[in-house]
Amino acid sequence: MKYMASLETFKSLSPAEFFYRNREIAGFSNPSRALYQAVRELVENALDATETHGILPIIRVYIDRTSNPMHYVVSVEDNGIGVPPQFVPKAFGQVLFSSKYKLRQTRGMFGLGAKMAILYGQLTTGRPVEIITSPVKSKRVYFFKLMIDIKNNRPIVLEKASWSKKKEWHGTIVTIALEGDWGRAKSRIIEYIKRVALVTPYAEILFKGPDNSYFYYPRVTTKLPRPPREVLPHPYGVDLEAFKMLIASTQESRLEDFLVKSFQGVGKKTAQDLLRKIGLPLDKSPKKLSLDEIKILVEEMKKYERFKPPRADPLSPIGAELIVLGLKQILQPEFVTAITRKPAVYEGHPFIVEVGLAYGGAIESSNEPILYRYANKIPLLYDEKSDVLWKIVNELDWRQYNVSFPAPLAVLIHICSTKIPYKGVGKESIADVPEIEREVRNALREVARKLRSYIQKKQKVEETYRKLTTFVKYLPEVALSLEILSINPETKEKHVDREQLIDKLLKVLSRKISEVKVSRDLINKVIVSIE
Amino acid sequence: MFSTADLRARKRALKIFWDKFNKLIESIINEEEPLLEIPKRTLANTVYDESRKLLLLGTQKLTRRMFDAHEARKFMQTLLMARIIYEALLNDEYPTIRDLYYRGKHTIVYRDHKGRIREENTWDEQKESDSVIRDLEVLLGLLREEMLILSKEKGKVVGYMRIKSGDDIIDLSKMGHGAYAIESTPDLIEFLDVDAEYVLVIEKDAVFQQLHRIGYWKKHKVILVTSAGQPDRATRRFVRRLNEELKLPVYILTDADPYGWYIYSVFKIGSITLSYESERLATPSARFIGVSMTDIFGDPQKGKKPYLTEKERKHYIIKAKPADIKRAKEIINYKWFQTKQWIKEINLFLTKKAKLEIEALASKGLRFLADKYIPEKIAIKDWIE
Repeated sequence: MKYMASLETFKSLSPAEFFYRNREIAGFSNPSRALYQAVRELVENALDATETHGILPIIRVYIDRTSNPMHYVVSVEDNGIGVPPQFVPKAFGQVLFSSKYKLRQTRGMFGLGAKMAILYGQLTTGRPVEIITSPVKSKRVYFFKLMIDIKNNRPIVLEKASWSKKKEWHGTIVTIALEGDWGRAKSRIIEYIKRVALVTPYAEILFKGPDNSYFYYPRVTTKLPRPPREVLPHPYGVDLEAFKMLIASTQESRLEDFLVKSFQGVGKKTAQDLLRKIGLPLDKSPKKLSLDEIKILVEEMKKYERFKPPRADPLSPIGAELIVLGLKQILQPEFVTAITRKPAVYEGHPFIVEVGLAYGGAIESSNEPILYRYANKIPLLYDEKSDVLWKIVNELDWRQYNVSFPAPLAVLIHICSTKIPYKGVGKESIADVPEIEREVRNALREVARKLRSYIQKKQKVEETYRKLTTFVKYLPEVALSLEILSINPETKEKHVDREQLIDKLLKVLSRKISEVKVSRDLINKVIVSIE
Repeated sequence: MFSTADLRARKRALKIFWDKFNKLIESIINEEEPLLEIPKRTLANTVYDESRKLLLLGTQKLTRRMFDAHEARKFMQTLLMARIIYEALLNDEYPTIRDLYYRGKHTIVYRDHKGRIREENTWDEQKESDSVIRDLEVLLGLLREEMLILSKEKGKVVGYMRIKSGDDIIDLSKMGHGAYAIESTPDLIEFLDVDAEYVLVIEKDAVFQQLHRIGYWKKHKVILVTSAGQPDRATRRFVRRLNEELKLPVYILTDADPYGWYIYSVFKIGSITLSYESERLATPSARFIGVSMTDIFGDPQKGKKPYLTEKERKHYIIKAKPADIKRAKEIINYKWFQTKQWIKEINLFLTKKAKLEIEALASKGLRFLADKYIPEKIAIKDWIE
């Protein structure tokens, strides 16, 4: 929303020019960050084109070198719904704001990020973007080479072709050439892909880097998260600009009807009550509202208490089951648990908090928990320390949950919302919002309690084995000693044999420790040698 | 090859071992929990027997269980030590406590509960194996000397006396400038004949040598003994036998400081750490002949004049260190030091904060020590019981 507010003051610039001038905002500040950002935007588009439409994603990401050492080619392929050919030029070659003002949770915002990547690529390499796409029911595959006319914000189609489909395939392949820095971006990109795979165990993801680095994450489940449903905006969550857009796109001629049709949670009675309170006529045309009237209406709507709370339908949580699967698959921990909280609301925006926790196994011990942050399923990699999630995780008294650092502990936190409250323009950290903090804290405590009881159980079993080891390791020594002490000083004859004693001692021991099976092979398992 | 005394001791020890441990073996065969009941060797289980004037082991016992996580290692060590000593007894050996430490020390390599390979020594320091030997002594009621375990010889003796050690007859008046080293197993010594009026035990080896060279024991018919510092068990047992079997009075001469007093009390009533052996090692009738605080400063109440002049005191007295003061305050709390005379001694020490070594008296003049100080004190009975 921030872009839009400032955009108003740049009316003379084309949107494409505006975005280019403000590329830092979109994450294209330097070649390293730009390469990372391009991969990210394309992968997120690919996921939106698949799972949101009930398709199990297959995503392939390739980064290749070119003859220019500064230039790279990024290519992302998905098996999504594809783009109808008539929309391809506008979808990839024109920077637009969607007129559609319905809300649902998606990863990117209106596909803006991908266009930014295309724009950045064009400006740094002078090369066009290549798109191969085939919509779901189409019999043909379409190919486009596009550039953006920045001054006029129009797509220029350089090449165009189509052929009939030989295989049953639908989806999109986008290929961009851009200036980048693989050496610097490598670890972030690989981490990003890993973190995407972590929350999409239903996806098959392949990544190949220019140095032949190769990562393959197979699909481990065919269960998809519930796709988000589109809903109308809630009155609490709409600001002045958004309200103006709603007016611009409405067909209604009466203010009362406009409120009922454009917002969720507003019935006829509520609309009338609200308008009477403010003193606006019910049948006034929304298009004829003055700026002052709009301001008052927006303010009053925020204060009004009788709207139904926002619905969670537009949210698409990952789900505890998939988080558990993802953590298991990627981190290979010995213990894993996850929870999806009930929907909650801040400032009129519905949100859901999900927390996963993985412990032990292949996770390496560190002095603080390893934190995996996600906002609307997007991994957040930068600005970790300024994130409120980091604060919450580190403020938790982990000792209360039997975790003492260094410990092999990973925490995954996912916030999904129709509006993520980012801190700053970088969109890499979550701001301090009391409602969200509370939800995260409660969720974290809940999973931490499960971890505690796991650790307690484990410690108990370990304690039993530890005790058992203490006894067993001395057993042969004791048995041998007793064998010698059984020598009759007169006849020099042994009265017992050590093997017999070991058997008897084990019998006594098994009576004492009932939790674990005590058997003869325990001796061989525990004793390596006596030197 | 072996003396009959040795053979007898060996046979007896073997029998006691065999009886005790076969009971344990039997209980294991019957699938009972393996345990050993050992009298406790702690200060809390040390009892001062007023009538016999001995420090004795109390009746408290500890139960050492094989399958108790805190006791398992000690249990293993106890049996390991028992086996090594038993083997030595069977093989007619005379191990020292150091030998026993080495024989028993080996490494158990095992996998711990987390699967890691670990190494553990049956014991690490000799302190550990020595402690187990003491446990066995109280468990079996058998002193280590009776198990034919040797230790370093520290004590020495000269005098008109003949003894039989092993199969040899030794004349303790014919040792030249040297002296007879009191053997580790004084119970195996046989007293043949003696011509002496009392036993004088001297803490300091150097003073012992001086008195020996000037023929003090010949002139005064004395069995002269030194413990060379803290007395070992053999010296204590030997002195006890001189007193008990030959009815010789025992006088003890130590430095005038808390450590000297404690050495005296170890001879007389036993030590805290080894209270279980007091019954055989202590000499309850031993007398503290000096050097006492009143020897240095006099006792106006009794009209006793000091043996040192003002000037000599200045020369010979050493200022007590904080550690000496601390030790004195501990000792004054021991029941067996709570007699009128000792309280007076200790308080005098605490007021004057002064101590004195026996050597100082020898410096004043060896003749003074040999011809005046000791004989005079014995003659006028100026000792502390």
